Amino acid sequence: MPQPSLDELLETLRKLQALQRVTDVGIGYLPLEQLLNELLQRIAEILDSDTAAFLLLEEGGDSLLATAAKGIEEEVEQGVRIPVGRGFAGRIAAERRAITIEDVDHADILNPILREKGIRSMLGVPLLVEDQVIGVLHVGTLHPRIFDAADTELLQLAADRAATAIERARLFHQRGVVEALQRSLVPEALPEVPGLELAARYRPAVRRGGIGGDWYDAFTLGRGGLALVVGDVMGHGIGAAALMAQMRTGLRAYALDGHTPAGVVDRLNRLLLTLGQRQMTTLTYVVLDLEREQVTLVSAGHLPPLVRAPRGETAVLAVDGGPPLGVSSVSTYRETTFDFPAGSTLLLATDGAVEVRGEGIEAGLERLRTLLAGAGDLVELCQTVADGEVRGSPADDDVAVLGARLQLLPDTLRTTWPASAETLPAMRPLLRRWLGRWGAAEDEIYDIVVAVQEASANAVEHAYAPGAATYDVTAEHEQGVIRVVVSDRGSWREPRGTHRGRGISMMRALMESVDVTQDEQGTRVELRRTLGREAA
Amino acid sequence: MTDLARVAAQWHGELPVAVVHGEVDASNVAEIGVALRGLVTNRSSVLVVDLSPTTYLDSAGINLMFSLGDELRGRQLKLRLVIAPGSSISRMLSITGLDKAYPTYPTLDDALSA
Repeated sequence: MPQPSLDELLETLRKLQALQRVTDVGIGYLPLEQLLNELLQRIAEILDSDTAAFLLLEEGGDSLLATAAKGIEEEVEQGVRIPVGRGFAGRIAAERRAITIEDVDHADILNPILREKGIRSMLGVPLLVEDQVIGVLHVGTLHPRIFDAADTELLQLAADRAATAIERARLFHQRGVVEALQRSLVPEALPEVPGLELAARYRPAVRRGGIGGDWYDAFTLGRGGLALVVGDVMGHGIGAAALMAQMRTGLRAYALDGHTPAGVVDRLNRLLLTLGQRQMTTLTYVVLDLEREQVTLVSAGHLPPLVRAPRGETAVLAVDGGPPLGVSSVSTYRETTFDFPAGSTLLLATDGAVEVRGEGIEAGLERLRTLLAGAGDLVELCQTVADGEVRGSPADDDVAVLGARLQLLPDTLRTTWPASAETLPAMRPLLRRWLGRWGAAEDEIYDIVVAVQEASANAVEHAYAPGAATYDVTAEHEQGVIRVVVSDRGSWREPRGTHRGRGISMMRALMESVDVTQDEQGTRVELRRTLGREAA
Repeated sequence: MTDLARVAAQWHGELPVAVVHGEVDASNVAEIGVALRGLVTNRSSVLVVDLSPTTYLDSAGINLMFSLGDELRGRQLKLRLVIAPGSSISRMLSITGLDKAYPTYPTLDDALSA
């Protein structure tokens, strides 16, 4: 073999320097499109080619999409797709090896643009990341050229480096999109429900591209009901996150439409199937009835919920679970109702919280149960679970966890509310629960709640100059007598208008005594009623 | 509309029926009012408001019924109320005299055939 000439050595050195430019740290942070164009420019220079193009494997892996091109820009503009296994690029991807074409006219070429452009010779190599094909890089010349082994080696080196840069840029971009999507999907704030403590955490997966389809949701339903959801769309990435968004919206829509918990999950299953995505989704849907102190649960192939009773005993709830959503249109879901007395804690989580590879799910559930048994603060508990305490290390899958604790109501209920009519529906379940504690009958509860709400509505109406005004409601029980004081810091106004002033007459009709006192501090309405007397 | 209450519209021929589900209070009475008034037409001389599936009605809701009745009367239209006898709602109506001001019926069928 002859010694390389000085010119040849210089040429090799020049190419190596050029190759170095393919991996410049700086370009790694360019947006993907810009990065690809920059890489093509540099690769065309190194190989001294007229054209260069990246075709990237599409999601699903069946075809390559022309994503960036130099000299054959039409390829990208027209969105050329090449099936894997066919044509020049398709064969490179399928066979995972470099292919050269000496004469395009006598070769198996799918893309007519290559011929139209007058390309004569081509060289293409696969883009590999961790042994997986992510696309194809090819160069071409307008004059006949024989690409030799050195050219192939050089292009493959460039392709390897480009593949890493592309993957990094793509993941960076994808992660940004998914995270934004995910942030918008986790409720901004949990609903504030008097007498109930709620906490939740979502922790995205840490591994590459691992952002997934776990979610939680919590929203109020009418009349003292609260909906709690923890779900898991199988898979990762934008597809899973987008499907999760649809599931979350669908569930809310069905629930707010007044369907039963099982009816909601039945419909969600059919919805998922009509979306044409056989992507398995598991979830637990819970309706917490604050007044009856009950939870009704439906599980679609999901990790069972855990509960801690007021005295501290913990259990995995035996929910009559159905199959995951999106498996079959004939799946049916049943609801199971459990007592959930004040002081109880419910914990819902996704697999990622407990799953350890090579271990049964029961072992993880058992550790979660132990953690729940010893838990104090609910927020801390959710954080601990999300951090991977149950697994012994942070999860490599994403984790969603949601906890709810029904608070024990004190003998004397002291509450402060913002001066807004929106507080009225939130107050009712709390008052009903508290009155129920003292053995008040249905009618009595109704009457007292209406009277307290009339006084509260007045307090809201008197409020006030603009600003963060509040009013207080204090309820006491003494020897069968309920006494409720509603006080505000506004001044009592005589009701105006034809149909005003019914509130005060209703209060008087519903309670034994109604005392309104006013001073410069504000207005105070004291309501009394003895339980067990004749109804109004 | 919030999830607190829902107005379901039904048409029995030309006769509109508003079925009020859920709880009506000062926080949602304005929305309920809009929904009820949306059912008033000149093709029918009657509006039936079915309060039998209503689980809570405070003075704001009762005031709405009185105002709606006044408005209908001004247009030569009539308001009929459906109230489940013996319910908490029916007690609120008798306390405020709403049941004396407008004809009430124990069932929707009764209100339709009146």
